[in-house]
Amino acid sequence: MSVVYPPDNHLLRDLRFSFEHDGEGRRSRAWMPVVAELCTDLGHARAGALATLVDVIGGGLAASAAAPGWIATADLTLHLVRAARPGSVVEARANVLRAGRTTVVIEVALVDEHEHDIGLATMSFAVLPRRDTNPDVSSIRQPSSTMARPESRLAGPLLDQLGVQVRDRARGEIDVPVIDWSLNSMGAMQGGVVATVAEVAAETALRAATNEPLVVNDLYVTYLGFGKVGPVRSIVDVLAAADGHGSARVELVDTGAENRQMTVVHAVATRGLA
Amino acid sequence: MSFGDESGRGREVGWYTGVSMRETEELRLVGRAAVAPHLLGPAGGVRTGALLTMIDNVGGLNGGLAALPEGWVVSTNLAARVVELAHVGPLRIDSSVLRRGRNNVVTGVQIHDEGAHDALVASGVLTSAILVPENGPPQWSRPVELEPPAGVPTHLPSIPDWLGVRAAGDHAVEIDLADGLRNPWGILHGGVVATLVDLSAEHATNGAHTTDVVLHFLAPNRVGPVRAIARPLGERSDGTVLRVEVRDEGADRTTALAIVTAAPADQAI
Repeated sequence: MSVVYPPDNHLLRDLRFSFEHDGEGRRSRAWMPVVAELCTDLGHARAGALATLVDVIGGGLAASAAAPGWIATADLTLHLVRAARPGSVVEARANVLRAGRTTVVIEVALVDEHEHDIGLATMSFAVLPRRDTNPDVSSIRQPSSTMARPESRLAGPLLDQLGVQVRDRARGEIDVPVIDWSLNSMGAMQGGVVATVAEVAAETALRAATNEPLVVNDLYVTYLGFGKVGPVRSIVDVLAAADGHGSARVELVDTGAENRQMTVVHAVATRGLA
Repeated sequence: MSFGDESGRGREVGWYTGVSMRETEELRLVGRAAVAPHLLGPAGGVRTGALLTMIDNVGGLNGGLAALPEGWVVSTNLAARVVELAHVGPLRIDSSVLRRGRNNVVTGVQIHDEGAHDALVASGVLTSAILVPENGPPQWSRPVELEPPAGVPTHLPSIPDWLGVRAAGDHAVEIDLADGLRNPWGILHGGVVATLVDLSAEHATNGAHTTDVVLHFLAPNRVGPVRAIARPLGERSDGTVLRVEVRDEGADRTTALAIVTAAPADQAI
């Protein structure tokens, strides 16, 4: 049985992604308009929002590369070097670096309308046998497509829509519910949202540790298990806090599933980007 | 990963880094290494490439033990953030298995400096693919205890001299694929690939110190020379971010991709 994903009222539609795919399943491009609701208080797109773009384009391309098998995301990395500001459009250019029997690796370059590098991302995936409940990616690999409905748009700031609750600012402890609006095709918190939760937790703790308005520009997300019940809670270990930058290790657990470990994230925060 | 086998292949990297390893409990392995003069980099402590090699060695063996009895492992991704560049030693490398899946193992690895009040030096993650070697997985007496073999010379060459690194233009460095740098499967040791990435970033930034590496191993290096080409992506308050592509020039293919952050030599990390 094939399932329709995402449903009509969903984060991935409200982010208004559009896509282009080659016919070979080796390259894809995607675009995301940057709106104020996606931005930090320094006025550039959150690393988590860009990670969501990477997750969607990378996951779709990896699923094509692994066909007829299916995939599970193992990790996602993102390094940002330039700010993406409201009113601009970020383009993600994904290509397959490796498509083996057990793993697929994707590289995603992020650029702006002037061909400036915004950042670079990678994803790796484990190849699994296909199940009936896995989405049919052939239907979404049309040459040109969009997930957005005419009425799709963010109704408020991304963190508000995700329901982020800060429990302890100094420790970077936050809770985020698992809601239909931000589920993946397996009924768990979507991978880019997981990255966003870790980003916010790291940013909160590193701002407290440095007393500077730092923003997260690097994420290394290792996916260990799904967050299906919630709320998802962050546990942050500040690794270093220096003048103008800091790094943290963030663990996310699903408190509704006996604190099952979901994800380990290494995050780096710096001053605002040019 | 590699610590060596009976053929002697892979031993040289283990000898050179001098890491001992002990399995302390199921799914946990602890390594120890001296801050030896030949491992030092321009920042005064153990060069980041050598730290990455230690993470690959200890995390890889731990992942391999977790994969038994069905299979053994090869490293696929290695990522680490270095937070202290000056070290006293000895270094302790703690590895624990975060996830053992059907076809991969994820290990978390942290390095602490026991001579500096156990200060954190680096935090990383190693992902390894599980495979079934032709002659079956290696046999181990448990709990595993490995010491660097006796008879290793005390005065070893520096890392660039040991590898025979040479510049290949302003943004690339390369090495020949010497037998001593191969792992038990006959391919270039993953730690050497990581070190080459570190050296290429340093070369391309005129001496900045590598503080952060994400490295994907894509294909084996079998022929050589092996070249690492660094392309700066941008500048931030923590340093320069670079994309580094590793190629087996003799086989005309890309074998690894890394994203590196390198901090200016005069900047606190």
